[in-house]
Amino acid sequence: MPLRRQIRYVIALVVVAAVWAGVEVSPASAQAAPSDPNPGNLTITGGLDVANAYLFRGIPQDDTGVVMWPFGDLGIALHSGDGAIKSLAVNVGLWNSLHTGAAGSDGPSGKLWYESDFYATLGFGFGGGTSVGVTYTAYTSPNGSFNTVREVSFKVAFDDSRPLGRLASKPYVIVARELEGQADGGAAEGTYLELGAAPGFPVGGLMVTVPLRAGLSLGDYYEGVAGDERFGFFSAAGILTVPLSSGPTRVGSWNIHGGVEYVRLGDRNADILGDTSKVIGSIGIGLSY
Amino acid sequence: MFVTYGVRRSALAAVAAVGMMVLTSAPAVAQQPADPNPGALTLTGSIDFLNQYMFRGIRQNSSGIAAWPAMDLGISAYSGDGGLKSVGINIGTWNSLHTGDTGQDGPSGKLWYESDFYATLGLGFGGGTSFSTTYTAYTSPNNGFTTVKEIMFKFAMDDSSKLGKAAIKPYIAIAREFDTDVARGQADGGENAGTYLEIGFAPGYAGSKASIGFPIKIGLSAGDYYELDGEDNKFGYFSIAGIVTVPLGGTTSFGAWNIHGGVEYQKLGTTTEFFNGGESNQVIGSFGIGFSY
Repeated sequence: MPLRRQIRYVIALVVVAAVWAGVEVSPASAQAAPSDPNPGNLTITGGLDVANAYLFRGIPQDDTGVVMWPFGDLGIALHSGDGAIKSLAVNVGLWNSLHTGAAGSDGPSGKLWYESDFYATLGFGFGGGTSVGVTYTAYTSPNGSFNTVREVSFKVAFDDSRPLGRLASKPYVIVARELEGQADGGAAEGTYLELGAAPGFPVGGLMVTVPLRAGLSLGDYYEGVAGDERFGFFSAAGILTVPLSSGPTRVGSWNIHGGVEYVRLGDRNADILGDTSKVIGSIGIGLSY
Repeated sequence: MFVTYGVRRSALAAVAAVGMMVLTSAPAVAQQPADPNPGALTLTGSIDFLNQYMFRGIRQNSSGIAAWPAMDLGISAYSGDGGLKSVGINIGTWNSLHTGDTGQDGPSGKLWYESDFYATLGLGFGGGTSFSTTYTAYTSPNNGFTTVKEIMFKFAMDDSSKLGKAAIKPYIAIAREFDTDVARGQADGGENAGTYLEIGFAPGYAGSKASIGFPIKIGLSAGDYYELDGEDNKFGYFSIAGIVTVPLGGTTSFGAWNIHGGVEYQKLGTTTEFFNGGESNQVIGSFGIGFSY
């Protein structure tokens, strides 16, 4: 991918952001914006991120062109209360990966749309900031680069913002089990474990987050020539989020964000990438409504 | 592509409808705001089940059931009292999942036959007139066809304020395929990029418990849209349908839900008749559930 084309994508993204900034000051928005434009039980989130490489849980997918991740999520708040279960919600959404490089339009298929994931999550919120989510995901490849992977995952997260304030680390654990198809293209369906934390702090009107993740195989998730490798990857990132307004507008809360992620790979994934580490840069625009 | 509601019994649709009835009786719904979404974004979605999928008269499956999950995000970018009354942007995805010969039972073994992405810029003017421009990419995740890219212009008139219940809501749409090659990027799989013309009406009546619509449309080739053996046949199809929509209660904090169903009859032209196995008539039944928030 020539640099000029990459620059065009970034410019296009900035133009989109500028258009949205324009929308916010348009006459429609100028009419006394409600404090909450969407007090109902449905929440829409979405965005578009652009990156220089895509590693799925440390497994290299493509680093030869520009990678774009458009996504959308519909959250449905089914219950909120003061009992043991504080909240109950369902989320359904789509996450996509479009590639201009070898896994996409410049590859054998000639098609940009490398990955399309559908997911549905049932999430429970408990007291003390603890939450549990069960997610079904179907990872599909519209351009036929990989066979569909179906997975169920369980996530336990703890939001420690209340006791720790700015020092909160928001730790979580994810266990995912492949039901059909395999991310590693190995001999058997795998089980994945992720340990992570997402500390963050505001700086002026901006938000800085420093997500940390470690991906491990609990069985057959990172299969290679030497068998299943336990360590898949470790990742540390810094992400800066800039709101495009001081509060919610009639078109929701928009932001632009960007960051850098450093990924250290296990031997199996490093062999595929041809390097033991990768630095991924990304920039994007996001919406919450 | 263009949704045509019809009547078809479907266990999944029934489950979805029952599920939403349960949802609407959940505690969270008891706190019903008058308008759960007064902002400038509108989300609409639906899933429909059909016995047959015809895209502008061109048959897409010969066996099995087609399911159409769809989602649209509408953005009200401007509204005012000048010559330009409103500006709206819509983006969305429309999908067709097939159990039959072009899906799960076909060579690919994959259900997901079609996934379309579209973006529309719509302008509303006085007198109920509107003009919209839509870009659509019709893609096939199971490689049932090559990606078709199209730009469409639509001019519509809502004559409800003048004619009341006798309104016919006429429209005309013209669509042009681009980025094509021989047998690639074209709905008819022909030699040249096509230009499609559609003229339609959407009369309907709304009652307190249900509404009924009678969309009528005719699809024509304005150039190479219905190619067959090197010849472009002007007449693509004529369609008339009856659609009943029943609201599932009123507007709740989950939006406004409905179930709908109907029957569509299509009279096909020479090219579309050929694609339909020599049969010039087609009846389509469908059933679905939809929401607007």
